[in-house]
Amino acid sequence: MPKITIDGKTVECRENIPVLRAALEAGFEVPHYCYHPGLSVVASCRLCLMQMKMPHPKTKELDWAPKLFPSCQTPVKDGMEVKFDSQLVHNNTNHVMEYYLINHPLDCPVCDKAGECYLQDYTEDYGPATSRMVEEKNKNPKKDIGSQTLLYQDRCVLCTRCVRFTQEVAGTSELTVINRGNRGEIDVFPGEPLENPLQANVVDICPVGALLDKNFLFQQRVWLLKPTKSVSPADARGSTVYIDVNDDRVWRIRPRFNEKVNEWWISDESRFSWQHVHSPDRLNIPMIREESALRPTRWPVVQEQIRAQLNTVASDGGSRVAIVLSPMMSCEEAWLLASFVRQSAPQATFVIGYVPVEGTDQTFPKGFVISAEKCPNRRGVETVIEQAGGPSASWDEFLTKAGGGEYRFALVTGGYPKAWIDSTLADTLRKIETVVLHDVWASALDDHLWLQLPSATWVEREGSFMNADGLVQPFDRALKPLDGVVGDGQFYYELAGHQGLFRSRKVRELMAAELPTFGEVFVPREEPEYAH
Amino acid sequence: MSWNAIDRKTVPAEEMGPGISEATKEKIRSFFPRYPSKQACMLPALHIAQDELGYVSLQAMRDIAQVLELPPAAVMDVVSFYTHFWTHPRGEKMLMLCRSLTCELLGSEKLRARIEEKLGIGDHETTPDGKFSFMTEECLAACDHGPCLMVNEKMHKCVSVEDVDRILDDPASDRLDIPRSDTYDAPPKA
Repeated sequence: MPKITIDGKTVECRENIPVLRAALEAGFEVPHYCYHPGLSVVASCRLCLMQMKMPHPKTKELDWAPKLFPSCQTPVKDGMEVKFDSQLVHNNTNHVMEYYLINHPLDCPVCDKAGECYLQDYTEDYGPATSRMVEEKNKNPKKDIGSQTLLYQDRCVLCTRCVRFTQEVAGTSELTVINRGNRGEIDVFPGEPLENPLQANVVDICPVGALLDKNFLFQQRVWLLKPTKSVSPADARGSTVYIDVNDDRVWRIRPRFNEKVNEWWISDESRFSWQHVHSPDRLNIPMIREESALRPTRWPVVQEQIRAQLNTVASDGGSRVAIVLSPMMSCEEAWLLASFVRQSAPQATFVIGYVPVEGTDQTFPKGFVISAEKCPNRRGVETVIEQAGGPSASWDEFLTKAGGGEYRFALVTGGYPKAWIDSTLADTLRKIETVVLHDVWASALDDHLWLQLPSATWVEREGSFMNADGLVQPFDRALKPLDGVVGDGQFYYELAGHQGLFRSRKVRELMAAELPTFGEVFVPREEPEYAH
Repeated sequence: MSWNAIDRKTVPAEEMGPGISEATKEKIRSFFPRYPSKQACMLPALHIAQDELGYVSLQAMRDIAQVLELPPAAVMDVVSFYTHFWTHPRGEKMLMLCRSLTCELLGSEKLRARIEEKLGIGDHETTPDGKFSFMTEECLAACDHGPCLMVNEKMHKCVSVEDVDRILDDPASDRLDIPRSDTYDAPPKA
C-alpha cells in the first residue's frame, strides 16, 4: 500500500488509484466535475489541480514543481507529496469557477438539482461572490433528447461525463459534444435520441442541473427527500438503490454504490420500479367470502381463519395443500410462512411462484447486466423451500396438478408490479377448492377466492433478497404500508406465532440457526461522494 | 412536461438532406488502408462527401457513420468542430476573403466592397440564384501573397479589384488541378 503525503498529512492508499481518489477517500475535499471512478479520465474540468513535488531538473532535489497537475490523472506513487491547500491551487480553483459561471443562468430557485448541485457547492466554497461578466450570456434552447431526459444546456459545465457514460457503460454513444470552445454543447444526433436501458443514469452523474429526469422535473426540492437504503426488485441482479421519500410518497430512486453488483448505475427498470406503489388500483382491505360474496374483514380474523382452515384440510398431513411462495417475497417472509405451514401441514407442497422472464440477460460493455428474470428473490425463496424439506414443486408442475384437481387448498402469494393472473391462469386455479391470494392487485380469480389479502409493496416492507449470484442483501422500509394493509413480514410473523414487531434482522438471526446463508448479509462499502 | 423544449428525438425527412452516392462511399473505403482504424478516416471521408454534395447533410453524416462503423453522433461531433465543413447548402462558389492583418493592409477591404457591390450580398450570405456565397475568414495562410481570396478550394493570391471582376465572371475560377480530397494525406509515391 503506497503512502503519500497530502497537505503535510501522510495517508495510506490503495494501489493504482488517482491522487484525487486517494484524497477523497482520506476525507479531503477536492473539487472536481469530470472525474468519475466508473468512467475514463479526461482531466478536462481543471478543478482538481494540485501542487506536486518533483525532482528539480538541475539539482535533482525534490521541490514543488512550478506548474499544477490534474490530480485525477496522476496515479499515486509511494512517497509522493502533494498539496491542495496552497495559494497557487486556490487561485486556480477560483479562476476556473469564475469561468464556469460566465454563462450560467443562475436559476437555482427553479432548478431540480439545487441542493445537490456541485456548481452551487463549489461556487459557495471557491467561486466569486459577484460576476464580472457584463456581456450577454450564451443562451441555448432546452432540448428534448430522449424519453426520460431533458437537456438544459445553459447549466452545463461540459464535464462530458454523460458522453463518456453513453460511450463506455451503455455502449450506445448517443450523446456527443458539438461545436467548440465557448459554443460547445452536448447534443444527440437529430432523430437518434438517448434511448438505452441505462439512460437515466446520466441525470445522476451530471454534477449540475443540465440533464434532467422528466419524471422528477419540478416535483420536489431535493433537501426535503429522505433516502432509504433499499434493493431494486426489478430484476434478479438485486441492484442496490436509495429510495427518496417525502410526504409518504416515493419521488425517485437513485443508484447506491455496490462493488459486487451494480457499481454506480441502475437500469431504468429499477429506477422507475416504484410507480405501481402509488397506484389507486391497489388492494387495501382483507376480504373473506361470506355467503358467496367477498366481504371486508379484519387481519386477526384472517389469521384465525387460515389456521383453522389449514388444520381442517391438513388433517392428513396436508398432501392436498399447496403454498405458492412468490419470488417477490423477501427471504424472511418466505421462511416465516414456510415454517408456519410445516408445523401444521408437514406434507404440504411448496411451490416456487411464477417467475417473470423477459428476453435474455443484457450485458453492457463495462459488465453491467440487466437480468432477464424480472423478480428479485427466486434464489432466496428456492433456498428456503429446499431447507424446509418435504414435497415441493415448480410453478408448471403446480399448474398441471392444480388443473388435475389435486389440491383442495392453496395459499398463493403475488406481489408483482403488474396484475399477473390472466383468465387462463384463473381457470386453472379455480380447480382448487379454497384459494387464498395474497397480492397487490385485484384479479380474474376474485370470484373464486376464499380470502383476498392485500399485500404491501417492497417499499413498505423490510427484509432481504438473494440475488441471482446468491448474494443476500438487506433492504429497509421507506414508507409505512398503505392504510388497511399489514406488512407481509408482520402478517407472517404473527401467523407463525411470534409476538411483537417484525424486524427482519431479528428474523434473520432465527433463520441463521437453520440456514447459515442468511446469517450474514452483504452491505456494500461506503464510497466517498464523487460529485455524484 | 412544463417546459418548451426543441425536439431532438425526431427529425423531418426534408431536414435530412441528400445522402452520398455509392461511388463516394467506395471512394471513402479506398482510404481505409491508409489509416490505422476506420474512425481515423473521418476527415477525408467528410471532405469527399463535401466534394460531392457541397456540404455535409445530416443524411451524409449518417451514411459516413455507417461506412466508418461509428455512431452518427461521432460524425456530427467532428463536422461541427471544424468551420470548413458546411452543414447547410451553400452557393456553388464559396468566396472566402481574408480579413486578417496582412491582407487588410494590402487592401482586402476594397475587395470586400467590390464583392458586396457586385453580388449584392454581405458576409455569410448567399446570392438568390445560389451561385455565390460570401464569407470572411481569419487567415488563409498566404500572408506573403495578400490580399487573398479563396473560391471554394482554389486560392487566388495578390488579388486586385479588377481581378475580382475577372474571378467572379470566370466559370473555372474554382477549378483545382486535382480535387482536394485526392491530395489529402496521400500515401508516399513508390
